[in-house]
Amino acid sequence: MIKYLKKYSLFFILAPLFMLGEVSMDLLQPRLMAAIVDDGVLGLSNGGVGDLSLVIYTGVRMVGLVLFGCFCGVMSGVFANLCSQNYGNDIRKDAFRKVMSFSFEQTDRFSTGSLITRVTNDITQVQNLVSQCIRGFVRTFLLFAGGILCMLTLDLSFGVVVASALPLILICVIFFIGKANPKFTVLQERLDRLNNVMQENVSGARVVKAYVKEEYEKNRFKTANDELVGTQLDVLLLFSYMTPIMNIILNVSVVAVIKIGAVQVGEGSVTPGNVMAAITYISQILNAVMRMTMIFQMVSRGVASGRRIKEVLDCEPSIAGGSFDGETTVKGKVEFRDVSFSYPGMGGDKVIDHMDLTIYPGETFGILGATGCGKSTMVNLIPRFYEVTDGQVLVDDVNVKDYTLGALRDKVAVALQKSEIFSTSIRENIAWGNPDADDERIRQAAGVAQALEFIDGKEEGLDTQVTQGGHSLSGGQKQRVAISRAILKNAEILIFDDTTSALDLKTEAKLYEALKREYAGTTKIIIAQRIASVKDADRIAVLENGHIAALGSHEELLENSEIYRDIYDSQLKR
Amino acid sequence: MAEQKEQSMSNYKVPGMRTPRNRQTEKPKEGKKTLRRLVGYFADESKIVLLLFAVVFVVVIASVYAPRLQSDAIDSISQGDFGRLPAILTVMLAVYGVQSLGTFLQSRESAILSQRVVERMREDLFDCIVNLPIKYIDSHSHGDIMSRMTNDVENISNTVSQSLSSLFSGVLTVIGTVAMMLWLCPPLALLSCTTVILTLAATKFLSSAMRSFYRKRQVLLGNLNGTVEEMVGGYKTVVAYERQEAVIEEFDRTADELTKAGIFAEILGGSMGPVMNVINNVGFVIIAAFGGYFAINGVISIGIISAFIVYAKQFGRPIDEIAQIYGQIQTAIAGAERVFAVIDQPREDKSGHGDMEGAKGVITFRNVDFSYVPGQQVLHNFNLEVRAGHKIALVGATGSGKTTVVNLLMRFYDADSGEILIDGVNIKDIDCNSLRENTAIVLQDTVLFADTVRNNLKYSKEGASDEQMEQAARMSNCHDMILRLKDGYDTMLSGEGYNLSQGQRQLLSIARAFLAQPKILILDEATSSVDTRTEKRIQDAMVKLMESRTSLIIAHRLSTIQDADFIVVMDRGRMIESGNHEELLAKQGKYYELYMTQFAGNAI
Repeated sequence: MIKYLKKYSLFFILAPLFMLGEVSMDLLQPRLMAAIVDDGVLGLSNGGVGDLSLVIYTGVRMVGLVLFGCFCGVMSGVFANLCSQNYGNDIRKDAFRKVMSFSFEQTDRFSTGSLITRVTNDITQVQNLVSQCIRGFVRTFLLFAGGILCMLTLDLSFGVVVASALPLILICVIFFIGKANPKFTVLQERLDRLNNVMQENVSGARVVKAYVKEEYEKNRFKTANDELVGTQLDVLLLFSYMTPIMNIILNVSVVAVIKIGAVQVGEGSVTPGNVMAAITYISQILNAVMRMTMIFQMVSRGVASGRRIKEVLDCEPSIAGGSFDGETTVKGKVEFRDVSFSYPGMGGDKVIDHMDLTIYPGETFGILGATGCGKSTMVNLIPRFYEVTDGQVLVDDVNVKDYTLGALRDKVAVALQKSEIFSTSIRENIAWGNPDADDERIRQAAGVAQALEFIDGKEEGLDTQVTQGGHSLSGGQKQRVAISRAILKNAEILIFDDTTSALDLKTEAKLYEALKREYAGTTKIIIAQRIASVKDADRIAVLENGHIAALGSHEELLENSEIYRDIYDSQLKR
Repeated sequence: MAEQKEQSMSNYKVPGMRTPRNRQTEKPKEGKKTLRRLVGYFADESKIVLLLFAVVFVVVIASVYAPRLQSDAIDSISQGDFGRLPAILTVMLAVYGVQSLGTFLQSRESAILSQRVVERMREDLFDCIVNLPIKYIDSHSHGDIMSRMTNDVENISNTVSQSLSSLFSGVLTVIGTVAMMLWLCPPLALLSCTTVILTLAATKFLSSAMRSFYRKRQVLLGNLNGTVEEMVGGYKTVVAYERQEAVIEEFDRTADELTKAGIFAEILGGSMGPVMNVINNVGFVIIAAFGGYFAINGVISIGIISAFIVYAKQFGRPIDEIAQIYGQIQTAIAGAERVFAVIDQPREDKSGHGDMEGAKGVITFRNVDFSYVPGQQVLHNFNLEVRAGHKIALVGATGSGKTTVVNLLMRFYDADSGEILIDGVNIKDIDCNSLRENTAIVLQDTVLFADTVRNNLKYSKEGASDEQMEQAARMSNCHDMILRLKDGYDTMLSGEGYNLSQGQRQLLSIARAFLAQPKILILDEATSSVDTRTEKRIQDAMVKLMESRTSLIIAHRLSTIQDADFIVVMDRGRMIESGNHEELLAKQGKYYELYMTQFAGNAI
């Protein structure tokens, strides 16, 4: 991920340079202060007569230097931000672009929640890390090194104090970081658990109440809460040791400097002003070390986030498009040739098992089958949402792998089992696949999907805003919006993946009737639970354990297929 | 009044607005009242609070006194009076020791205090949430309720643990320092105040300049995170409609704007340090120049100058801090106000003492009217009589009021007028827990917990044996499916539940309901994603289980309900037909119509 910095290397170099200016001014300041005290106020070089003009002259010079330091500081901030934020932005855009190129197998593996945190929170962490590195770390390090240098030039004997305090502080820092870091991980886990209990209780309130589990849930929450509070207290108590210990080391060092300074002043090798400067430097040095602790905290968090982003960035899209984007003479044909499929990481359990099937242009093709028999998986292979494990899927006589992904998916419109509705207007939700569609076409598609009635019933019609997750629409309404969207795409192949389950029977019947009338040439693949949904299909496939158990028209199947009759009987009381 | 408050609050949360650092300061509406209540939480920990104040007091005195000793030491050096030095240094060490010990106690006690308060506040809040009426949960955004627990309590916790003692010690330090400075040298003390005025002016100017950029950045960050959540969450649809490029373009646009606003905000924020540095140094020069002048004129000693430098620093920092803490406290009180708003919600009305243990399960709805929103009546004069041991079904279009019947029967909502009776007893007179313990419900939107399959199933009946559990799983046709899972009954179900299909989740919740062996069983579209043959097998098992018990089934699919003893056809909150399957078909009414659409289907 360092390569992203290259573009901003000028800023990356300028920021620390300006920081160097700022820090130098900070470091010069105690020295000037010593000059003011020694020569100006005490007049040591002047036989004990103070020199007020020197105080003012040096003071003005000091203010000038400090203003220059301020300018450097602000400029270093400008460049550091230009660098880190643009850097973060580039990574953010690339990471999002990468996520948008993932196959479903990859998004399943990362899980949606984790991808969202990676693109949002983790990138912010890394961005902070970079800006901390440029500013915080550089500043602290310069203050630290410069402080030591300046102190030693004052008098070498002060070095003894630094040399003995430093290791102590370092040991402390390392000890506390080592102790605290694993606790932070635990803390995050406990916090997640508490939030999870909370979430479950809010969204599952009906079930909690129905089984009278309020007391049980209260105990569950109490456990999670106690654990969280315990860990949090642990961390806080740990830090309550840290600050005082650091302070003691710092203060003892100050006392030591005064003590040594006193001896030196007695011998005449240093001045009282120098002792004051030395006190300032030693606090600066030790403060720098403490600040380093915080920076290290941030760095370790940033590095962990960086690793998580890198996983996303380094993940090559597992499904790459082919090169074919030409016209086909056949339009709307789907063929499965000896297709097998198993989900990665499921132990090779075949969801689709050596399937052969051809669906012809313009055909209405129904798919029935038990829960978990592979119906959805099968249609997911057509637009290449998942890659076949074995065999070939052909659309219009061309292997799906040969198409560019765009060309292939232009041919297929899918209304998914879980209708995904976006928080925008109903109009934009329907025109999701065709942003340029005019109202007439949108209304036509919504009309076929039987959605027009409820849309027009809303005060703002197509302009009605939908809340996130589509909570303001009922299940059936969401499905009809999703169906309108698929219809509007006007693709060669239209797939309904159990998309009419929440529609009442009458509405569903009207939908299929309209579809048949207005989209006669489109190949329609309909997955359903109800025989009524597929009864009028040209052919119906009954899926069982990943293969086609029966195939034929409603009448043929009634006659020949025992499973189909069984399904039919389960739905119809004679 | 309360309603109004609720509405304005629901606007508050923007997705992704979690970073407390850049959080806008909010003004609480009833600050004093809320503060008093918040203080009440601390009153119970009065011992710790008193100890804390005492410790802070000592720490402040020590940190005000220490520079004074330092200046004495320098003085003795510069005057060549080395004999006094060891004594001064010893006292210094002692003072530093006291200060460190005090700091330790201070952070320790405030940590304990904050965690105790927060623990109690969380428990109180959760206790309320778990007892909130369903009506409240249905009518409020879940994210909003959640954020009271996550954001608001967390905010209060942070403020309490960090700010409270800082505020106290800040105020004390300022007072102590000013007193000390005035005592040492009043003119120099007044001069030092110029630094303070400069600090305050600069803080005010910079922070008001920053605020608009931070606010803009916050809004953009909210938009950006919202886009990510939606597009990654709805990724299947994005891909299915080849909208990746458009989505990326939108994302990039927001990201660029965010970066621009962020750069401005951070540059301004980052200038704060250097500017303060200038002010501090100007303060130093002022002190040095005038101090030097005074020293030359013999008004003060050089040691006092050194003490003043330390004091000036000590003085500027708490003022800066207090300004920040004030904002934090305001935010925390606003958060506390939201937390208390939930805690103050009336709890679910569970009154009633009757026991349902011996009930037979006769359900009667008598002239029931009901509306969720006043003026939009959902049930009109609804009457229903279910005999014990019967299987009754409700059919009808979406919005015809089927689920409402269940909501009323479970007492998730209470009827506007009319009465609902079980075995002739009004359900309002039955102990609500007893009612629910004896009534099991399976909903269309399955709720499973992030726990093992075993614990999910046994949720309905604590202490059920594994045999009973497996028996229930077999009856709901999911025993084999569970055994095929990676760890069988010990498989952890993930929150998102993407490792199970919707149909499989429904089977598990049915098993859970079966295990409860309820007197009344309610299935509300519970098998909508289950194929009809599996459903048939479940129903056969149900017949055995529910022998001499009452079950109520709601479904779109007529196949789900046609075996029912009694079918009620509902339309817009009214019962329009009832009878068994054959009777209703013979009537050739609405049911017949529905039946024909399903089985004669699109042929019509």
